[in-house]
Amino acid sequence: MLGGLRDLLAGAIGHFAATVLLGAVVIMTYLAFNVLFLIWLERKVSGRIQRRHGPTEVGPHGSLQTVADMVKLLGKQILTPVATDRFVYVLAPLLIFLPTICLASLIPLSGAEAFADQPYGLVVIIALSAVSVLAIFMAGWSSNNKYAVLGGMRSVAQVIAYEIPVLLAALAVVLVAQTLSLRGIVAAQARGVPFILLQPVAAALYFIGITAETNRSPFDIPEAESELVGGFHTEYSGMRFAMFFFAEYTNMLVLGALGATLFLGGWLGPWLPGPVWLLLKAYAVIVVMMWMRWTFPRLRFDQLMTFAWKILIPVALVNLVVTALVVGGAG
Amino acid sequence: MPLIGRVWAGARSLLIGLGITGRHSVRRPVTLLYPHQRPDVTHWGGPIELKTFAATGTHDCIACNACVRVCPSDCIDIEGRRPEGTKKMRATKFLLDFSTCSLCGLCIDVCPTDTLQFSTRYDEAAYHRPDSVNDLLGPYGEDPYLSGKLT
Repeated sequence: MLGGLRDLLAGAIGHFAATVLLGAVVIMTYLAFNVLFLIWLERKVSGRIQRRHGPTEVGPHGSLQTVADMVKLLGKQILTPVATDRFVYVLAPLLIFLPTICLASLIPLSGAEAFADQPYGLVVIIALSAVSVLAIFMAGWSSNNKYAVLGGMRSVAQVIAYEIPVLLAALAVVLVAQTLSLRGIVAAQARGVPFILLQPVAAALYFIGITAETNRSPFDIPEAESELVGGFHTEYSGMRFAMFFFAEYTNMLVLGALGATLFLGGWLGPWLPGPVWLLLKAYAVIVVMMWMRWTFPRLRFDQLMTFAWKILIPVALVNLVVTALVVGGAG
Repeated sequence: MPLIGRVWAGARSLLIGLGITGRHSVRRPVTLLYPHQRPDVTHWGGPIELKTFAATGTHDCIACNACVRVCPSDCIDIEGRRPEGTKKMRATKFLLDFSTCSLCGLCIDVCPTDTLQFSTRYDEAAYHRPDSVNDLLGPYGEDPYLSGKLT
């Protein structure tokens, strides 16, 4: 269906422009819907874990609660504190979700469809996913608020530390699949088994890593409410504040979908179409992340760093070396 | 290796924690959705109400004004009338201004016919003062003594 629409548009504005336009519209629309859904889901999951109902009043089972909240945020005054670095302050919320939208276009939805199929897709994704930390630091720095700066600095330290095990875990998958293309990685799983069975350690490392990279509990120290008054987004209000939320939940979906692609067989699955399977797997990963958030207490900062540098990275390195030896021996 | 042991113990405790929250997440919520679901209250001292006696099917307020005199908040207003050919008064008006009532219960203690009791009603908020005046005779309708059905 999308292909037909693209061909129709291509007649008017050219093939490349039609692809970009259509991709942008579809991805933005879906991501906006996804954020509304995920915030509702988060509140429902937290409610159930705490033996509450979660939102129930607006819409059936409270499903329109986030829409109502979004309307409220749209109507709020957008404050800019006096002492801010104004240009950076305004730029940060815009910058934070650009990389995640680019990432979303790189995930292969099915064997035939991806908005931007790159032969080195995995490298692009890992490079882009580190850009959002720049926006977080910009937000923290430009707010001219000590809590915001602390949150931003914590975020930089954390993302740099946890990027490495994610990268090493993904590299182990690359060694097994013998390709950097995400579509190729799923194709390799189609020939054998999902890589979570071949690379359980890498899957665990990846999962822990993306939990930290999306700043979610137990690794949510950049925005630790009880310590930092919200961290890097302390000074933001209205839609600018909503942008950070948008980015966080979009990031969860994209990294969940990437995890599904790398370890759970991506779009592969019986009966249902490919994109549905991919989203189901991504949402399964996200539900586990929510489950963890409402179970575990937050780590202390030194524990966080110790965990990354002394445990995750050595384990990831050993896993990579063992994988390389096994793959090399088999080859 | 103490580090590996500690990591293992930590991972195990995390899984136990996930198990606990996972078990609770599939159980029934304990929250009562209050305006939609109302709890049945049995032990609660709400605004006073008249007690209905099984023998007569009605209250036994004789408009003696004992409660009016004892009330420290002066929130009870009673009028009564003597039915034809009897000595006992019957209440024709029993108003309780709940906005000034302090629920001290002195009226219940002092009532000579024991016809006052705390109700189990619990959400008595009102927007205007006149709305919180309770008519205790409201549920009873026509008085059987005053109309001559009972003597």
